[in-house]
Amino acid sequence: MKQTNFLFLFFLPFLFIPELFAQQKYTLSGTVRDASTGETLIGATVKLQNADHSFGKAANDYGFYSLSGEGGEYTMTVSYAGYLTYRKQISLVGDLKINVGLDPANSLQEVVISAKDRRNDNVKSAQMGLEKLNMRDLDNVPVLFGEKDVLKTIQLMPGVKSGGEGNTGFFVRGGAADQNLILLDEATVYNSSHLLGFFSTFNSDAIKDVSLYKGGMPAQFGGRLSSVLDVKMQDGNSKEFGVEGGIGLIASRIKVEGPIIKDKASFMVSARRTYIDLLLKASSDSSINSNTLNFYDINAKVNYRFDDKNTLFLSGYFGQDNIGIKDLFANDWGNTTATVRLNHVFSSKLFSNTSFIFNKYHYAIELLDKDNNARVTSLIRDFNLKEDLQYFTNQHIFRFGAQATHHRIAPSDITTTGNSSINPLSVENRYGLELAGYLSDEWKLNDQLELLYGLRISGFSLLGPGTIRTYDAAGDIVSSYDAKRGSFVKTYVYAEPRFSASYSLSEQNSVKASYNRNTQNIHILTNANTSSPTDQYVMSSNNIKPEISDQVAMGYFRNAKDNTYEFSAEVYYKWLQNQIDYKNGAELIANAEVESELLYGKGRAYGLELYAKKTKGKLTGWISYTLAKTERQFDALNGGNYFPAKQDRTHDLSLVGIYNFSSRWTFSANYVYSTGNAVTYPAGKYSTGGLTTYYYTERNANRMPYTSRLDLSATLKARETKKYQSSWSFGLYNALNRKNPYAITFRDNKQDPTRTEAVQTSLFGIIPSVTYNFKF
Amino acid sequence: MIMKRFIYISVLFVGFLVWSSCEKVIDVKLDTASNQMVIEGNITDQNEAQLIKISQSVPYTDKNVFPAVKGAKVTVTDDIGHLWTFEEREPGSYSSAPFKGISGRTYSLKVNVSSTEYVASSTMPERVHMDSLSLKVFTFGGNDVKQLQVHYHDPAAEVNQYRWIMKIDNIQTKRVFVGNDRFTNGNNVAELLYYSKDDDNKELLGGDEVQVEMQCIDKAVYNYWFTLSEQTKNGPGGGVTPGNPPSNINHNALGYFSAHTTEKVSYKVK
Repeated sequence: MKQTNFLFLFFLPFLFIPELFAQQKYTLSGTVRDASTGETLIGATVKLQNADHSFGKAANDYGFYSLSGEGGEYTMTVSYAGYLTYRKQISLVGDLKINVGLDPANSLQEVVISAKDRRNDNVKSAQMGLEKLNMRDLDNVPVLFGEKDVLKTIQLMPGVKSGGEGNTGFFVRGGAADQNLILLDEATVYNSSHLLGFFSTFNSDAIKDVSLYKGGMPAQFGGRLSSVLDVKMQDGNSKEFGVEGGIGLIASRIKVEGPIIKDKASFMVSARRTYIDLLLKASSDSSINSNTLNFYDINAKVNYRFDDKNTLFLSGYFGQDNIGIKDLFANDWGNTTATVRLNHVFSSKLFSNTSFIFNKYHYAIELLDKDNNARVTSLIRDFNLKEDLQYFTNQHIFRFGAQATHHRIAPSDITTTGNSSINPLSVENRYGLELAGYLSDEWKLNDQLELLYGLRISGFSLLGPGTIRTYDAAGDIVSSYDAKRGSFVKTYVYAEPRFSASYSLSEQNSVKASYNRNTQNIHILTNANTSSPTDQYVMSSNNIKPEISDQVAMGYFRNAKDNTYEFSAEVYYKWLQNQIDYKNGAELIANAEVESELLYGKGRAYGLELYAKKTKGKLTGWISYTLAKTERQFDALNGGNYFPAKQDRTHDLSLVGIYNFSSRWTFSANYVYSTGNAVTYPAGKYSTGGLTTYYYTERNANRMPYTSRLDLSATLKARETKKYQSSWSFGLYNALNRKNPYAITFRDNKQDPTRTEAVQTSLFGIIPSVTYNFKF
Repeated sequence: MIMKRFIYISVLFVGFLVWSSCEKVIDVKLDTASNQMVIEGNITDQNEAQLIKISQSVPYTDKNVFPAVKGAKVTVTDDIGHLWTFEEREPGSYSSAPFKGISGRTYSLKVNVSSTEYVASSTMPERVHMDSLSLKVFTFGGNDVKQLQVHYHDPAAEVNQYRWIMKIDNIQTKRVFVGNDRFTNGNNVAELLYYSKDDDNKELLGGDEVQVEMQCIDKAVYNYWFTLSEQTKNGPGGGVTPGNPPSNINHNALGYFSAHTTEKVSYKVK
């Protein structure tokens, strides 16, 4: 189809908005908050109902809602999971503004009251492929070392695969780890792991809301192929001061929040630090006590409500890891983000958010050996300006905006002191500019049909200055020139259509379909399975084309027993273009010509995801199952044939059960099973250079043994006093002590060197943990 | 080099973190590949009988007994018209009359066997002199770990690639040591031959007699050994997807043809 025709058709619906011409319509708008803390409630449902009409909408990311309807008497209800439902009789005879405060339900009330108000948004909404994490579940799902973790809990969702044992890296619908866009208050978090992947950068105390988009990507998001993980920090209690924290085996955390000016301004600061190295320090051996191994992070947020129309938010994150061995080496890495946002309500129908965002990831490695000393540093830094507008009408929510991001990548700088074997080296910086504009419409045509469609136009330019080399397939330089500062070296523009629709067969079940295209211009080159502190970032360039994915998905959604049970089945197929791998023996670090080491290919991924969830009662939890395949094809690899990607796992099953035994005891368990990763085993062997060398035939044609693990935990709430609440969490990770495969290696047998054997390395056996949490 | 060391240390840390990390020998189902031609050819700068070995690979589950390929016609020429014919003195082992490889010359190998002609060429680099060996002692977790360092002066004017072979009490260490001057061009270099006893090697102890051979190799041969060294390193989660190292011999033969300089130095560990 010709691009212009296509665009015309695409925008056609926007040109006919019948209700703009309708009469006698009034608007009800306002903000929904938690009555006890003043935190805005993202996605709370606001409904107006009378004998003739019933309509509703969800509050946006800032708790703002806007409903338009014909004048008259209505019952207004506002509901949100875990809160008592708000009801009010209103007469809509003019535009109205009502700010709503919802009271949190205690756990017993929750069981009783929310039954008929439970929402069926999962059935009705056109959005597909969205996983919302309930922050309350997070408290109860057992995890390694008892450190509750957003990214590890996300891995229990269908279509999301773990990066490895105890690892926070994840793969979504066959995509690579670097194809996930991870946002913290809109700022990109490039490396989301601490301590070589065992912990995520997200301190769950500071987090309010977590959404993962696996498909049906809304048009306001772009820049990554696979998923968007949208993490939002809490604003801070605007009613009263509070302190909460936890003391665990590995780390402790504390959060302080409170009003600066009551109901006008509040703050939240949360910090976390590990203390493994404090245990090291306790050793009397100087070779142990002078080593370092720690990480810490700080989340901070301040907001100021000028009036009902203007709110300013400042939020920031700073995290750092340090590991080091005395006289040998030191390594530190971390992310820094800062976000300034201004919410402005232009009218009861038009909501605007303007954001200015800074984010940076850096690492430094220092070799401390006198003969070979060096300090290697690397960073990626973004400045990002975003304007997002939402226009609410009776049947539509229009969303449109623009985004500009400036990237700087400093690949490697090496400095040395004294008489080092190593030379100083600086690989020149690379600069890039991403511009995007988008428009989308969430359109409720009638009680059955809901559409969410839009278009994102994204452009990327590699900017000068820099030496621009073009390579041929063999990696040899074809041409080279020096680009001037600010010049546009190479520009790519793509139109990314996004479309999803839901058709309700009844109140309780629906079918949905979606298509979306995504492009990606920031790519990670890594040797590791998921992420490592020394990941190398490259941008699209004259050599590297933007990665492109097209995904279609279809699903069936059903709720039962007053929405107590939620069930969904989704199938997807994804086409990936311009995927990146690298040649054998590629040197990725501190290599100005790293682009000469790359290979380009394509991929495909498809699968079936089944999900069943029980949302209330004494026993809650979910079962998720994924049947999937993901493959890649590179001309220079595996004889040009498709081969399974590393993260290809046929079956992936997660079971999570949380049992509210009494008001004090909660027991929970999760069980995971997954097919082993695709790996390459030797098919033959020979001798070179006096060593037994392995001969490989097909890439990733073999499988590691399967992984299966049962984790248990129990939480005991201590007796509450008015001022002080506390609880103990006890956990057993890998309760069956199964030796799950982490790596398989091959070696000569020690007893009989004429034989070779396969050796499986397992990381974690049974690991108990205990955490004490408090709040006052 | 920098990265390799860093990755090692990271792996140590992971091990250190994990209380119950363990290893066990498992049964795995493996594909069985048909036997492949393996050619290992070396031309050194010593006046000696040069050696070309031809054998076959075996299925992974077989014993480490690699069948010799007999009856091949093997010749080596240089770029100024010399020709050496190699005789099969032992099964699969073909050697020439003594001659000395010259730096800067390109040597071409031709092997005719079972109606296939395998060819490869390699250029002998300039020789870089190995100055000395020294001992480096690291203290980790209360234990002293002894490692060996090679000292040499890297010439600034050219791109150099090196390979080292370490023998402890005459037993070759099961590790591929390679290096280039990407980070060290023109310097006095102290290259650590870092290895771990976990790779089924003997720990370096006082009284051990160590011998290190240093080879200066060309770029293609460096790629071969470097790829192999990446494979033997097993990073977290399995590390690099292994593949066959890029051979400079055609027709998908395994192995390499390397014209290199060689120098050996011995060291007695105190």
